Parts: sequence; C-alpha cells; structure tokens
Amino acid sequence: MATQVTLNSGSVDSAGSLALKTNGTTTAVTINASQGVEFNAGTAALPVITTTGDTNTGIFFSAADTIDFAEGGVATGQFDSSGNFKFNSGFGSVATAYGCRAWVNFNGTGTVAIRASGNVSSITDNGVGNYSVIFSNSITDANFSAVASSSLDKVIRVDIYSTGAVRVVTDAATTDASIVSVAIFR
Amino acid sequence: MNQRIIYPTDDGGVAVIIPAAECGLTIEEIAAKDVPAGKPYKIVDVTDIPSDRTFRNAWEYT
Repeated sequence: MATQVTLNSGSVDSAGSLALKTNGTTTAVTINASQGVEFNAGTAALPVITTTGDTNTGIFFSAADTIDFAEGGVATGQFDSSGNFKFNSGFGSVATAYGCRAWVNFNGTGTVAIRASGNVSSITDNGVGNYSVIFSNSITDANFSAVASSSLDKVIRVDIYSTGAVRVVTDAATTDASIVSVAIFR
Repeated sequence: MNQRIIYPTDDGGVAVIIPAAECGLTIEEIAAKDVPAGKPYKIVDVTDIPSDRTFRNAWEYT
C-alpha cells in the first residue's frame, strides 16, 4: 500500500523521502531516504544555499559532480568534476588554481635551521651551499616546478628532482646562504 | 626542534638533517623516513653541531 502523503507545500513518498515545495508543484528541498538533504541546482544569480538578505551569494551546482560558489550573483569559485579547485581572485575569470605542494624558508649558514615550512619533514645540510629539501608527503611525480631563491647575489639551482625531495645548490656549492626559499608547484 | 640527525655520506663526509617543527613527526620518525636506507645515523643535540662552517666539507661522521 502506498504511503504517500500530500501536504500543502510538500509530500512524503513511499520511499520515505520528504519533499518541500515552494508553490505546490516545484520541489525546493528533499530530505531523502538516506537522510541526505537535496537542493535544486541553482545558478550563480540564485544559488540554492544562501543567506537571508544576500540571496545572490552562496553555493550552487552548475553540473554533475560539481560544486560552485557565487558572490553578488557572479560565479567566483568551483570544484569541478575532476577535483580541480578553480577561483577568480583577481585572475579575471574562474580558472584552475595550481597548488604549492611544499615550501620552506631556511637559514643555510651557521646553525642551519628551518624558519617555516609546509609539507616538508626536514632539510639536509649536505655541505657548503648544498641542501636537500625532503617532503612530508611525496609529490605525484617528479615533473613539478621547483622555484628557489636565496639571499646571495649568486646562482641558486635545483639540480635533483624526485617525488620525495629536491636538492638545492647555492653558488655552485661554494657559499652558504642565510636565506634559502624553495617552493614546489604541481 | 633542538635535535639533529647525522649520517655519513658516500664521499666520507657527514650530512646533517634539520627537522621541520611543523611536520608533526617525532625526531625518530623523521630519522626513519629521511635518512637514506641502510645508512647508520645518530640523533644529536643541536649544540653538538659546529656553527662555524669554515671547514664544513671536512666534517666527518664519528
């Protein structure tokens, strides 16, 4: 026997889903049988998850497996179906942001020490002007971009790339640098 | 961290590992992860490492 109950502005179907309707026909919100709350897709102009008094700012769903963000009725961010995070942030359009996967700033002179870091478990002092940066979590592959700089008025180079570490050499391994910075992008 | 990990290098020198405080690992965990496989190592106090690096490339592992 069907157990559907029709309400003024919603219904409960035989599967146990509760649908709330805005005008008696259009389902706005459904609490499904798995206790999930379902919203309509919405748009950038009218996101479906929003706040009182600012209804053109919030979350909407522009495509399957995609989460979008809007501000002032304009799309400003997205997690696409491949897991890419896209945002505008002054770029001019919503585009994929490529993350810094590891970074470190350290003193390579005197008592060598790390000032600050992210996704780095340690650095290795291999000798004068020769340091390895070891990642906490490996990078997917070794085809990343490593950006390095130092306080020296000399060449700094990254000469060994691997998924777990990079080696950085300052002034052809003849001079230590008081500031060495390395960032890994992928 | 006020500790360092040292191990001998293939050319007879010594490498000094400086742990990253933010990584959330203990010094022992960092040693197990970052010292090359098969290398002996020691965990030492930072004050045991010379701050004068004039002859850094002549340091030896003992």
